[in-house]
Amino acid sequence: MKKREEIAAAKQERAEKRSRSPYSAMHTGPGRALTAVYGVFALSATARAGYQVIREFDVAPIAYSLSVLAAVIYIVATVCLVIGNRVSHRIAIAACLAEFLGVIIVGILSFTHPEDFAKPSVWSSFGSGYGYIPLILPLIGLWWLFLVGRRIRTT
Amino acid sequence: MFTVFTYVLYAVSAVLAIWSIVETIRNKPAGKLLLGATAFLLLLLIVQLVLSIATFGSTHDIDPLLYFGYVITAILVIALAGFWAFAELSRWGPGVLAAAGLTVIVMIERLDQIWQ
Repeated sequence: MKKREEIAAAKQERAEKRSRSPYSAMHTGPGRALTAVYGVFALSATARAGYQVIREFDVAPIAYSLSVLAAVIYIVATVCLVIGNRVSHRIAIAACLAEFLGVIIVGILSFTHPEDFAKPSVWSSFGSGYGYIPLILPLIGLWWLFLVGRRIRTT
Repeated sequence: MFTVFTYVLYAVSAVLAIWSIVETIRNKPAGKLLLGATAFLLLLLIVQLVLSIATFGSTHDIDPLLYFGYVITAILVIALAGFWAFAELSRWGPGVLAAAGLTVIVMIERLDQIWQ
């Protein structure tokens, strides 16, 4: 169990950081949890995309290029959630929107053009291979970014 | 893989995930015991890595990049989540551990599929 003073000191430290990077998700517990989940996803998507490109890019070039794109967008979103200035806030919103549109468009395409998706990408079949987390995560991210933006506008 | 050891891996990561969810709901930061359980799972995953390196030659053609990619990513996820939960003083420390535990359960399943 952590001591009270430690928690108080950590809160004060965070309050100081807040004045420097008001948009960062790292100031509150749920924001840090969201950032961690994004980080896990960025890591696993990068590892999988890297493997697919190195070993079997010729099998399904479109699906694997999309995997790489998805991995890059997850990394960008994770970094922007941490940085927390106005520009990174907007980039994070754009990244979440791109993720959501990506999972919808690729999800539809993987049903209508299965020949282009011989092997699954992260976004195929609306992210079913990843427990539909790719579909839900950008929505939670957007909701979070909206809350942070509103909090800053009202203060 | 190594049947009994795989079940142990499943059991420990499931316990970690459920325990973390309970601690998140109880609004507690990650205590020493929970961090100890995370370290134990990390140790087991490293044992899995060593075991698979030792017996890799005896198996039929598995792509080492694919297999060890998964093992090493799982080790990274648990190690990073552990540090994260150690630094995090709110209920969301166990929250992160729960997410990592669930991820690792899926990764163990994939490892088992690849090995067969």
